[in-house]
Amino acid sequence: MRYALYLGCTIQSEQYGYEASVRETLPKLGVELVDMKGASCCGFPALNSVSKLGWHYLSARNLAIAEDMGLPLLPLCNGCHLSFVETKHFLKEDPELKNIINMNLEKEGLHYEGSTRVVHLLEVLHDEIGAQGIGEKVVKPIGGVKLAAHPGCHAIRPSDLQRVDDAEDPQKLNSLIKALGAETFDYPEKIDCCGSQLAVASGRTTLKIAGDKLKAVRSYGFDGLVTTCPFCFKMYDGRQRAIRGALKDDTLEVPVFYYTQLLGLAMGSSPDRLGLQMNMSPVDGLVERMTE
Amino acid sequence: MLLVPEINEVEVRFISKMLSRLVGEMNAEVCDQCGKCSSACPVSKEIEGFNPRQMIAKVSMGRLDGLLKEDAIWTCTTCLKCRERCPEDISPYDVILILRNLAYRAGYSYPAGYDDFIKGVKESGFISRPQAVRGRGGVKVSRADLGLPEVSGPGDMAKFDGVIEGIIRAGK
Ligand code: SF4
Ligand code: SF4
Repeated sequence: MRYALYLGCTIQSEQYGYEASVRETLPKLGVELVDMKGASCCGFPALNSVSKLGWHYLSARNLAIAEDMGLPLLPLCNGCHLSFVETKHFLKEDPELKNIINMNLEKEGLHYEGSTRVVHLLEVLHDEIGAQGIGEKVVKPIGGVKLAAHPGCHAIRPSDLQRVDDAEDPQKLNSLIKALGAETFDYPEKIDCCGSQLAVASGRTTLKIAGDKLKAVRSYGFDGLVTTCPFCFKMYDGRQRAIRGALKDDTLEVPVFYYTQLLGLAMGSSPDRLGLQMNMSPVDGLVERMTE
Repeated sequence: MLLVPEINEVEVRFISKMLSRLVGEMNAEVCDQCGKCSSACPVSKEIEGFNPRQMIAKVSMGRLDGLLKEDAIWTCTTCLKCRERCPEDISPYDVILILRNLAYRAGYSYPAGYDDFIKGVKESGFISRPQAVRGRGGVKVSRADLGLPEVSGPGDMAKFDGVIEGIIRAGK
């Protein structure tokens, strides 16, 4: 298993806990991560709203780089993943658009054919390595902890494009959580949105949408929330203090983890190697329980 | 400004093609105004007046101009629930995103954050550049502190910027 690792803007500029834990854990599971040279933004958050063509250009350009490397592309962000899948779909449907994009790519010495396979982290973990394969590497099972799965909108919708899991009943993240020895169960808000993409237009509404979900997660008795999307993580973890302020609820404290951070703890890595010092939500209690 | 003429035409054709594909057959008969989109929408719950069902009604009646000037088109979270749940295969999400493209092109107001995104991309290839981030203990941590490799961007930034400029500004 060899992949071109696509980090995208948010992870490489600030979500270091995600990147560190991916680089720490995946190689131990037999996955070789190859860094890309010359990559750029996928275009989804920056340009989809203002220039559809610009968005497809940026996505195609990263796909073209992976094509040159001869490797499947592994973006770690849900938004980037959807962006690449959707661009591939559009360019296949519209050869004229593909031509225009290639005319411009040529100026950068690149060419897009459309042969790059796009893979999601949940697919690598669940479909390729498998819950059983992960279970075999667990040396410190996370027992007695109830964790809520948050797969994130862009991983599962829209189902008319190739997505990662079932749109209405996604179970891959649940089974991966169970593989670590932790408990999980479905809850009504599981496939609801974190609201992060609204931050650019209305910060207050964003905090309310994210806060309502955190409240729900707490009300079901979960000890923490798990995701693999940097935008969702940033909302629930990095902005949790702001959420408490916006909702005027000082007691709303929910530990939030990247799945790969928990995977690393279960495989015996130290919290520092997994960037757990970067989580802003109150994860200390759980981390201590998992490492004792 | 590096305007690529072919791009201009194509961008316009592309947007209108997408809009007509999504809305063309989408007259009042196709959208039965069932409201499944609005009841699934997280923003409709929070912002009074944000209503994808109504937006589709307006678009299908050709009342685009008002919509293009409203803040509402910029407050969709892109959660895709409306696209998933619509029984008629209409995607309010895609319609909203195309309306944003049109509003931007028409010079109507849009959230200032998009200018920062574009600036970031044009300057470094990415929305944001690596920064030292404060962790839970209050200590600032950089990529190097965590042993993460240096980030590479587009090799020839001038060429990259030229292409992006041409594409984004086309049709404006
Ligand atoms: S769900 Fe579809 S058919 Fe129903 S109101 Fe919305 S756009 Fe119209
Ligand atoms: S994609 Fe936008 S309009 Fe559709 S349900 Fe989500 S927030 Fe509402």
